[in-house]
Amino acid sequence: MRQRVKCVPAVLGILLLAASAAFAHHSVAGQFDTSKPVTLKGTISKVNWMNPHIYVFLDVKEADGSSTQWALETLPTAMMRKAGLSKESMMGSPGEVVTVLAVPARDGTQHLAWITKITYGDGRYYALGGAGQVQ
Amino acid sequence: MTHMSGCECKPDRAQPVMTRRFANCIVATAAVILVVFLMVPGVSAQARPDLNGTWDHGRGIGFVRTQTFADGSVCVIDCPQPANAPGGGRGGAGATPNFPKYKPQFLSKVKDLSDHQVKTDTVLQCQPPGVPRIGPPHKIVQTAREVVFLYDDVNGSFFRIIPTDGRPHRKGLPASYLGDAIGHYEGDALVVETTNFNEDTWLIDNGAFHTKDLKVVERLRRVGDTIEYQATASDPAVLVEPWQTRPQTLKLTDQELEESARCEDQDIEHIIDGSHHDNPR
Repeated sequence: MRQRVKCVPAVLGILLLAASAAFAHHSVAGQFDTSKPVTLKGTISKVNWMNPHIYVFLDVKEADGSSTQWALETLPTAMMRKAGLSKESMMGSPGEVVTVLAVPARDGTQHLAWITKITYGDGRYYALGGAGQVQ
Repeated sequence: MTHMSGCECKPDRAQPVMTRRFANCIVATAAVILVVFLMVPGVSAQARPDLNGTWDHGRGIGFVRTQTFADGSVCVIDCPQPANAPGGGRGGAGATPNFPKYKPQFLSKVKDLSDHQVKTDTVLQCQPPGVPRIGPPHKIVQTAREVVFLYDDVNGSFFRIIPTDGRPHRKGLPASYLGDAIGHYEGDALVVETTNFNEDTWLIDNGAFHTKDLKVVERLRRVGDTIEYQATASDPAVLVEPWQTRPQTLKLTDQELEESARCEDQDIEHIIDGSHHDNPR
């Protein structure tokens, strides 16, 4: 019986560590549906250089000629700076058409997504994670 | 008269007063000592380690292994890594878990806090992360009487003022996120002891709560152009034993600190699994 009692904290500890490891990268998947990637094409109208996540606002032209603004979330500023990226490099050139691979909000919020990869007019891209390894 | 190899620093006993030769020797020796103190990194004239400077330690995100390419492309996260890439870094693949050991009666509380991190972790509401979760300082300013730690954190720009002139902990202060710190030098190390924390912060991610009796001791040791940093958290009411953070090496850098960008969380309301938002630091 005593042995059994001693086992309980040990088992709980192991479960706790296992849970910690399992939760290792849930921040994107908890909010965005990584199984339903979308591709968006448009121009960047604004970058909110803020924490804990930067927001990029993308104006996407619809088939009927109207424009829809997407709020695209990405990494914190420190990560971007560590990677050598800035608000200016994210903005690109004025009017530059960019292609964004993104994963949409899981709660159904329209036009909210996480940037997986953003490709600029000159072919350069920034891979920003959240949906597995970018090829 | 006995002859020694190198400098002869004995007074000539044949003379009633100090000879010129002996005086020259003393001056030369003093000059050598002065030069050593001035030239050896990390050693000041006061024999304290020189910790002044801006220090890079990956900003708590050392596990991010950025790849840059010739065309200007950058891979920040989820980049393909060579098969033999080291696991290294906090939270990096292959890292051994380093979690405080809680007394059995508190394990369920830790799990519950972790499971509901979206609501329970004040860091996710842009609050100060506390100590030791905030990590090592990004910049250190050292004076004769105190040391100032500066932080460029995701949640804001923070500072800690640490008296090193023997002043005791201040009394009557309200408990705070970063606590009340005092420091002293032990050989080539600065030792900082911090108490008087509020209970709103965690020691680390995943529900590692503490009580108001938390005491954190940080050691910073200058080694060449680096500082070796490690913190130990003691909270006997809830922890089985003091918990040590992973040792970290801070590298002297020319990159100056920037004002932290505004912190305003806008996505927690959209997290629908109701559970966890990883926040490695």
